[in-house]
Amino acid sequence: MATAVFYDGAVARRRSVAIRVSASSLDIEEAGEWIASWPVGKVRRADAPEGVLRLVLEGGTSLARLDIGDPSDQAAVRLHCKALDGTDAKEKTGRILFWSLAAAVSIILCVFFLVPLMAERMAPLIPMSWERRLGRAVDNQVRLVFSGKICADPGGSAALATLTKRLRNVHSLPTDVDILVVDSSVPNAITLPGGRIYLLRALLDRAETPDEIAGVLAHEIGHARHRDSLRKLIQAGGTSYLFGLLFGDVTGGGALVLASRMLVDNAYSREAETAADTFAGETMTALGRPAGAMAHLLKRIEGNESRIPAFLSTHPVTDRRLSALERLVPAQAGPPLLADEEWRALKEICKTS
Amino acid sequence: MTASLASEHAPPAVGSAPMSFSGRGGEFLRLLVTGSLFQIPTFGFYRFWLLTKLRRHLWSNTQVAGESFEYIGSAKELLIGFLIALAVLTPIYLGYFILGLILEEQQALASLPLVLILYVLAHFGVYRARRYRASRTVFRGVRFWMTGRGWAYAFRAILWDIATVLTLGLALPWASASLERYRMRHTHYGNVQGDFVGTGWTLFKRGIGLWALGLALTIGTPTIFALMPKRAPETASFWGILVPLSVVLVFLALWPIAMAIFARWQLEGVRFGQAAISSNLRIGAFYGIFLKTILSALAFVLCFGLVVCVLGYVFWEALLPMLGSFDALLTQGEAGASDLGAELANAGIVVAVGMLAYLVLFLGLGVIQRYFMGRGLWAVIVGSLSVSNLETLASAVAAGRPAGVLGEGLADALDFNVGI
Repeated sequence: MATAVFYDGAVARRRSVAIRVSASSLDIEEAGEWIASWPVGKVRRADAPEGVLRLVLEGGTSLARLDIGDPSDQAAVRLHCKALDGTDAKEKTGRILFWSLAAAVSIILCVFFLVPLMAERMAPLIPMSWERRLGRAVDNQVRLVFSGKICADPGGSAALATLTKRLRNVHSLPTDVDILVVDSSVPNAITLPGGRIYLLRALLDRAETPDEIAGVLAHEIGHARHRDSLRKLIQAGGTSYLFGLLFGDVTGGGALVLASRMLVDNAYSREAETAADTFAGETMTALGRPAGAMAHLLKRIEGNESRIPAFLSTHPVTDRRLSALERLVPAQAGPPLLADEEWRALKEICKTS
Repeated sequence: MTASLASEHAPPAVGSAPMSFSGRGGEFLRLLVTGSLFQIPTFGFYRFWLLTKLRRHLWSNTQVAGESFEYIGSAKELLIGFLIALAVLTPIYLGYFILGLILEEQQALASLPLVLILYVLAHFGVYRARRYRASRTVFRGVRFWMTGRGWAYAFRAILWDIATVLTLGLALPWASASLERYRMRHTHYGNVQGDFVGTGWTLFKRGIGLWALGLALTIGTPTIFALMPKRAPETASFWGILVPLSVVLVFLALWPIAMAIFARWQLEGVRFGQAAISSNLRIGAFYGIFLKTILSALAFVLCFGLVVCVLGYVFWEALLPMLGSFDALLTQGEAGASDLGAELANAGIVVAVGMLAYLVLFLGLGVIQRYFMGRGLWAVIVGSLSVSNLETLASAVAAGRPAGVLGEGLADALDFNVGI
């Protein structure tokens, strides 16, 4: 018998041994002396370079190894040791696939059902004082983005305050909001947690009547009243975490997380948008003004700019939204929300004298 | 190249035992490609199995005078490590988030420094991950293992990082030496303690020429352009492109040399008792690999782009309505006119195909990177090493126990690199 190499797992010494394989055991002898016997049922194969058969005893306490290089010895071992590759060596790729899929499906279900539900339930439980603190934290960052240029022309601010009061007092329990105009070239309006609403100057520029701006502000007040931004924050946090778990560990997952979040956020916020539209409609109707004015403003803006693809936008101006708002005509017309001089002052709120 | 048993060599004298790498590139590539493809349907979970297989291939094909190492870690351990890391990180993330909010209330972006927590965890994780891998490495039936504490290492590493930043990088050789010493002195083979005899000064001497050359080229190239007769347009955008481009090119040209210098210094300092490692790694040894990596990546991206274009062209007829319903579905929130099922299916197909294409691109690049920069570098480095006084290790008595998996889990969860 050709020699094999035995490492006894106690000392790092290379021992030249002779092996004898029988139907029941693998015997190891060194210089004629018996060293060890391994039952063939417990002999397993370990990793080795090509051409070498490395054997290990399963259940042994040490890391003993037997390296066999001789082809006839290897054949003998393979013949008698039937369980060389172990009972569970098959990687069970199928099981890995199944459980991964199950984990993925459960995460996706959580994102689409559990997280919005949680956000829905948790938002009312959070006290307004906490929400205001959250709002301040977010506000600081938002101000940083806009370089904090709040427009504060006295005439315009007075007109804005008048408009705000009229919109708020429609409801018996007025929503606690604080509306400011920010000098920015992006036509938009944002509601932060805690009731701070920023109306961006570019939106104001494109408005033609006070009703249009009033409608937009009423819509934002609706968001504030329903605590939408708080809910969105909770939902975004949960979704980010879950999608990060799911995709973040695949190479290049970061971008996938962002993309998925954008799609999911859009789907989720549509309900909030419809509710805010309804609130705006009710407010405007109660004041005796047409609700459709706001939709005209938005349509005008969308027409003018090439925006991001519609499915990524959170404020899609769909025809259905337009027609829903236009249908809300008040039974009886009310007085204009702002006098002409007030409207002019508001339009010029960002002009510094 | 196949192995032969140590017993068939003449017993090596107290001289050098050369190291060799016998792994076939084709086999490694096969493991890598199938493993990476499996990552798609398993949402990335297969990476633990892939990593284990790769390590087993690399370890068991690394030989010293015909005797090979062995990696005895398992994929299940890595998966458990990941779950433990998640359990550890979730409260940390929550606390981080809340603390961040409180800070932001006072001042915008005040929560950015909190990212330092993750940086500290990364150092901790690197040490613990190495401890795991060491204790799953077996040679001649005896295990390597490590003592030392992750936090102690992290503490040192952070102090050295600060020193390096303050000295604009000049402290780096001494930082490396100090950290290597900590690592190696806490590494044991059986009952033989490891050591590191490389010095910061040696590395500094070997590397300073390169550093100076890099600096000169980075500053010099744009300057030469500026001094040339005015054929170059004097626009800001020209400089905006030229300067970063020259920095990148200089970096790419010199980085392989820097890596080779560092690798050789690092390996030649390793001692286990009387056994020592020597290396004949040439300075330009990594250039071939770097070039192959870059060219392969470019070729892959080109082919990928071509395939996408061809498929898009061929299936344009079918593609257009699918994109239409995808858009409609997400803007209106419901089917326009036709049946909901078809609309959803179309939209779903667009999303699935898009994500798949994206994943294939990234996984392909990952395969290229791992094949060349993982296996390629490993093979070149191992082939340049030899161990002297190997037989003094024959009396090493088995000791040490397998280390825990938290480090590997953190490395995976926090996404920092611990080698292969």
